[in-house]
Amino acid sequence: MREELKDSVRKAWLALGKPGVWWSGADRLKIVREARAARSCALCRARKAALSPQAIAGAHDTVSDLSPSAIEAIHRIVSDPGRLSQAWYRRTTSAGLDDEAYVELLAVVSITTAVDTFDRACGVAQRALPAASAGTPSRRRPRGAKPGLGWMPMLAPEDVAPDDPPLYSSAGRIGGNVHRALSLVPEAMMQFWDMFETMYLPQDAMRDFGREYRAISHAQIEMLAARVAVRNQCVY
Amino acid sequence: MIAFADVAIDPTGQPDPARAALLARIGPAGLTDAAAVIAGFDAITRVADGSGIPLEPPKAEASADWRASLGIDAYWTMKV
Repeated sequence: MREELKDSVRKAWLALGKPGVWWSGADRLKIVREARAARSCALCRARKAALSPQAIAGAHDTVSDLSPSAIEAIHRIVSDPGRLSQAWYRRTTSAGLDDEAYVELLAVVSITTAVDTFDRACGVAQRALPAASAGTPSRRRPRGAKPGLGWMPMLAPEDVAPDDPPLYSSAGRIGGNVHRALSLVPEAMMQFWDMFETMYLPQDAMRDFGREYRAISHAQIEMLAARVAVRNQCVY
Repeated sequence: MIAFADVAIDPTGQPDPARAALLARIGPAGLTDAAAVIAGFDAITRVADGSGIPLEPPKAEASADWRASLGIDAYWTMKV
């Protein structure tokens, strides 16, 4: 296995147990456990099979004491991401989940998904949770974040302040919409993208068709990416 | 490769046969990189769909024809 891939996955996994910006290390690990539990949640399975997830009432199979709004967010992101909507987002966050906390939760769920899917695809056992580190979330919000692009405010490259983390400064991150998706919590954005770019390709390698960067070709990489996007019903 | 992707992201699936078949075709390094791409996109689709980001206008314009013909635009109608 490429060393950079092994290292980035391990680093992202260990960081899940460290204090974030809006959640403690212990709470971030609760999000990880809940994300794993969502895979076998009976309500999630019933909603996924329904014409509309709104048609099925009930309670999620939970493994944590996270708030109901956090549990709903985690379970839906894991089990039925293609049918998430702005109306769902507003319902869920208005019940007691700040935009910033939701964005960090989204990053934790997405990193958990990536690592667990990678291990499963490689045929190795699901890895044990990292240790939780003590510490207080900084609760620092980038001042330049603005509403308008997605469901929550986002930080454009031109609005990054000198004291913001350098979220767009590496690997040709040009500030496309998918780069901006987690930018309300720059640290979460960087944790996700530092891992993702070693799994896929950095931006500047993506369109460099004169060279292959992986043991599979650009065409094979894009075919796999498209297949997973279709299976997850992702328009973007 | 497609069969491997399908079963790798399905928590109820059994990836061993598809993994073995792909390993025989592309070797261990290729298998690992295929697993990494599948895992990365199983995650980034959640980042995109969980944040409500739209397609950038140039991408939306360039993909309009084949999005419609492949049925991808129908995904929007399922969001509730």
